[in-house]
Amino acid sequence: METLGILDEIEVLVSDKVQVVSYKWLSRNFLVSSNAAKRLLQEFVNTRGSGFEVVYTLSGWLKSNPSSYHIRLVSGPKLEEAKQEFNGNCSVQVYSVQACIPKDPAALWNAEFVQAEELFKQSFTVDNCLRDNRFCGIRNSFVKHNVDGPAASIAAPQPKSAEIPVPLKSNSGCQNISALPSKQTKVQQSPNVGPECPNLESSVKSERNGTGVHDLATKQTVDEEKVLLLPAGKKKGQGNRISSGNGGSLSNLWGRASAKSKLSSAQADNDKHIPNPTVSAEAQISACEVREIESSDDEAQGVNFKRASNGDNSRKRMVVFDYSDDEYEDAVNLASPELPKGQSSATLVLEKPHFIKQAEDEPVIKIQSNMTLCDVKKDMAADAAPNSPKRRKVLKTRIDERGREVTEVVWEGEETETNKVEAQDSKKEAANNADTNTANNRAPPIKKSPAAGNGAPSNQGSKPGNKKGGNKDPKQGNILSFFKRV
Amino acid sequence: MAGMEIDTVENLQRKQSTYQSLDETFVIQNETYRGQQYSQIYFARLHMMRTLLYSLVTHWKPHVPVCTVLGLEEGKECIIVGTLYKHMKLKPCILDEYSKERSAVPLVKHHNFMHPDDHLVLEDESGRVKLGGTVLSPSVYVTGVVVALHGKETGAGDFMVLDVLEAGLAPQIEPQLKSREDKYVVFISGVSAGSSSSNPLQFQLLVDHITGHLGDEKEQGIVAEIVHVVIAGNSVEIPLGLLNGQNLASKDQSRLSEPVQELDILLTQIAAGVPVDIMPGSNDPANFSLPQQPLNRWLFPGSRAYNTFRSCTNPHCFELDGVRILGTSGQNIDDLKKYSEGRDGLEFMERTLKWRHLAPTTPNTLGCYPFTDRDPFLIESCPHVYFVGNQDKYGTRILKGSEGQLVRLISIPKFCDTGMVVVLNLRNLECHTLSFETQFSS
Repeated sequence: METLGILDEIEVLVSDKVQVVSYKWLSRNFLVSSNAAKRLLQEFVNTRGSGFEVVYTLSGWLKSNPSSYHIRLVSGPKLEEAKQEFNGNCSVQVYSVQACIPKDPAALWNAEFVQAEELFKQSFTVDNCLRDNRFCGIRNSFVKHNVDGPAASIAAPQPKSAEIPVPLKSNSGCQNISALPSKQTKVQQSPNVGPECPNLESSVKSERNGTGVHDLATKQTVDEEKVLLLPAGKKKGQGNRISSGNGGSLSNLWGRASAKSKLSSAQADNDKHIPNPTVSAEAQISACEVREIESSDDEAQGVNFKRASNGDNSRKRMVVFDYSDDEYEDAVNLASPELPKGQSSATLVLEKPHFIKQAEDEPVIKIQSNMTLCDVKKDMAADAAPNSPKRRKVLKTRIDERGREVTEVVWEGEETETNKVEAQDSKKEAANNADTNTANNRAPPIKKSPAAGNGAPSNQGSKPGNKKGGNKDPKQGNILSFFKRV
Repeated sequence: MAGMEIDTVENLQRKQSTYQSLDETFVIQNETYRGQQYSQIYFARLHMMRTLLYSLVTHWKPHVPVCTVLGLEEGKECIIVGTLYKHMKLKPCILDEYSKERSAVPLVKHHNFMHPDDHLVLEDESGRVKLGGTVLSPSVYVTGVVVALHGKETGAGDFMVLDVLEAGLAPQIEPQLKSREDKYVVFISGVSAGSSSSNPLQFQLLVDHITGHLGDEKEQGIVAEIVHVVIAGNSVEIPLGLLNGQNLASKDQSRLSEPVQELDILLTQIAAGVPVDIMPGSNDPANFSLPQQPLNRWLFPGSRAYNTFRSCTNPHCFELDGVRILGTSGQNIDDLKKYSEGRDGLEFMERTLKWRHLAPTTPNTLGCYPFTDRDPFLIESCPHVYFVGNQDKYGTRILKGSEGQLVRLISIPKFCDTGMVVVLNLRNLECHTLSFETQFSS
């Protein structure tokens, strides 16, 4: 018999595992209603009660205070005495059985609360017994639990009809029905069927009387079981939809990363359709990691960059040209510098022990080109001019992925509006700031002091977007900037 | 497989009721702070109350002329309407705190700042006049109450008060649909989840009772008649030591969020069964000044998914089946207790209703938002039920107004101290308590 099995298990729990078995814990664990759990415990006490301590709940009106309904916990030995406090009949039920009564009553609550916490922490799509209160003795079909996350709004004035329209926001209407019984239509049986199951509601409909007519309840219980099974399926479907939605963007993420791994080849990535900045940030990080692997190959090159910069520029410019398209199209390009075409990442690896974002690379190259030889600079400018006449060198401050404020000089292009704004503002500043930038870059490379960042707030003041988009490219100072000063 | 037993006992259905929130006046919506001072809220209060009092004065003493403070003439009886100001010797003053740093004498902290030398002053936009006489007792009144005074100016320049007229209870609207069946509202206050002095088992028993887990069928049948639960403030207690502005270690961070999560789990259990309103209190993570804005719904990620869960302002006003219920989490009455004298909390509550102002000591000694064009605490329609939370003990009384208004006053005790909640029957406005006891001597 199932009951016997449960009783055995209770015995094991109480004696061997020294656990407090409260009726609530029992009901959730063995998926029985609270009333049934209490009966089980009573049976347990009757048949195997010796050797265990029992805690009872006593409830009733107090003798000493007739307008006070009192509910108290009392241990077995004190039961009769406690009953005297009550006026007339008081209801006695088993609350819990345990090996011994704990000193602190709150210890009775622990096992139950741990169980409640576990149920609470389950994913939102799961409708568990905590969330729908299925084991209690009182049903409330007007409770709606929105499993998709955002709550049903309650601000709207309540409509008279209890029909549930599909949008979530009018769910609150179901809670409030007019007092006239004739208007009450029970739209759904289960308390946890959300608006995403409209067909369910139409199939399971019954009249519901607000005063709790008992004869309807049995029918409803049976229906409820049916209905409970269905929403689970529905919700799973829902969940699948959601997860697949996420999966879509995730696959894009990996798709982009693998595409980026082919560095030298021209990548005409068409990831314009991912506007999500977080995805792009992840893409950058992953691409970054990929990039770092191959950029480490370039390290040796970087050291000699100064000398080879002239020739390398053109080569690297070509390489980076591909990246910039990839990188900046999916990101919300609030403040990104337009990467100089054809700059590669090599030199940055020298100073930075951390992961290098792609974007870092390109501007640094630009800095280098800026800092090294004037003629290089001129060359760059000359080169730049025919290639993309709207690119300018601009001083930008941004927050890197570690939250450091970084000031750097970047080339910027004409792709986005913010860049345009930048271009206009920084046009005037570029020349002045070239020098300040070297000073900034000579600041300790790991931690940019705030002063360095603040050194260019006037530039950035009109471009608040820059700072916000700063999760992209931290530009770090370049060791070669030393050489320019000297 | 659901694995659910079908009970031989039929499941009960919970009763329903119509709910309408009337919290719009308490929500800060379009107000912008432009650096204004509190004079505007006082002026709005005076203006509204004076209009009202002028209309009442014509019935009260029709033959006595009404004038402003500056228009007082010595020896001439007249009626003046204005805001009372109580000059209190012991009222804490910022200058005292400054001098505390300078002087060696320690400041004495008082629970109640009254002093025999306190005197009242009446002020309107034209001027102020000191009030004399024995009719107006300074121990009863507080700063911020608008009244009409009948008296005359003495030679000393005081105004000798002969009689006082308060606004009285506001007009009350009869509930259109008188409920013929018993429907109960449960008022809880001062749960203080997470506090070392609170007993979580006690609150769990309450939750189990309300949601229909505890008790036999008869009891559950009565519980099925509970249609609404109101939690009136101080639902969490976050350890104060963590709130001193220092950076928290990661283990401390979980201590910070545990009380709220515990509350959320319990609220989820309640919301799954019955509509619940939660109001912020003085210890809750909400703004300090009245009207306190609703607790952020993201504090309760579990409960907010329910359409039965509502986060409300403090003060909170709503209608349930046509019965108008208004109440606060206790700050208004607690402040009155500091600056005036009364028999019990209910007497202070009665006074606020008669003064037609929920919190007359705002903004003087109780923080409130500097409204510019209105005073949201003015009571325009008399509620049927008026509750105050976080009080020391339970109390209830019916207040009768001069025009037949009937108000049920409820003083809700702190649950963490008393284990008691208040249950109101919407049908006849009768109250009883529900108390929980978990200490079993073993």
